[in-house]
Amino acid sequence: MKINVMTDILEANDRIAADNTDVFSKHRNLVLNLMSSPGAGKTTLLEKTAEALKGKLRLGVITGDVETSRDAERLQKYKLPVVQLTTGSACHLDANMITYALPHIDLKKVDILIIENVGNLVCPAGFKLGEDYKIMILSVTEGDEKPLKYPQMFRESSLLLINKIDLLKYTNFSLKEAKANVKKVNPKMDIIDISCITGDGISEWISWLNQRYQKKFGTKARA
Amino acid sequence: MAIARNIVNIAVTAAEKEGAKRVTKVNVVAGELRGLVPAQLIFCFGLMAENTVASGAYLDLEIVPLVVACKQCGEKFRVKDYCYICPKCRSEDIQTLRGTELRVKDIEVE
Repeated sequence: MKINVMTDILEANDRIAADNTDVFSKHRNLVLNLMSSPGAGKTTLLEKTAEALKGKLRLGVITGDVETSRDAERLQKYKLPVVQLTTGSACHLDANMITYALPHIDLKKVDILIIENVGNLVCPAGFKLGEDYKIMILSVTEGDEKPLKYPQMFRESSLLLINKIDLLKYTNFSLKEAKANVKKVNPKMDIIDISCITGDGISEWISWLNQRYQKKFGTKARA
Repeated sequence: MAIARNIVNIAVTAAEKEGAKRVTKVNVVAGELRGLVPAQLIFCFGLMAENTVASGAYLDLEIVPLVVACKQCGEKFRVKDYCYICPKCRSEDIQTLRGTELRVKDIEVE
């Protein structure tokens, strides 16, 4: 006997993600799902972002790590609300894990919440967390062909930060080639070249954040 | 692995609702953009199905090609090498029609 099912395999996740979105909107949080390979510079970017936003917008972080709490420890000195999720063997965060993390972070004290996903260019793309935007980091030591190798993630993300441009001269990475490849997969993706070491491009990244925050909540600061 | 677990859950729930004793086959439709590796998914599905009514069931994976439409000239085309640019008018304003789905279509039970 055949039974018709027609059930979306990620439906349960999408439903929980939608609930998370409601919670974030209620607390006036702009939420970003930050994805990259391991070692592309996600945590370093968060450190730079915390420094640059100080006294302006308030940053909060949920960070996913397979085994350790090192990422959260690195961020502690910035006195941010940080929640560390240890995913065990899971290679991505899902909406349910975020729901569990929410009681541990005071969302009323956060303007921009960045969810640092597990370092991986495949699995995180399939799981919505309730974010406003998916954003990515690609570092120049990874190679300029990555957009074509991992198209789903590049297709679904709104912004690409090309990191470690201070190392360009030591690699065969071509910024032109990388951008052409991104353009093929996702013509609408914004791209900013950055170096977390020299600080290049960080101000453009901060203004991207400001624009998105204002787009969601208007220019009026929260009381 | 999470996808395999969800497939097993969906199949088991549907089978139990119909009072079926055993699931023999699960038909899954997966878009090309999902980038699933059939052999890997089938292996994970087998593991997750152990000790359920879906234990030993055959997993059939139908891969749906990535087909899009140009919003400017209306041209429909299959995306090759993930190039989202209209081959007719070179527009980048593209709408995805098929190739992102991921669902359990039906199951066969006894």
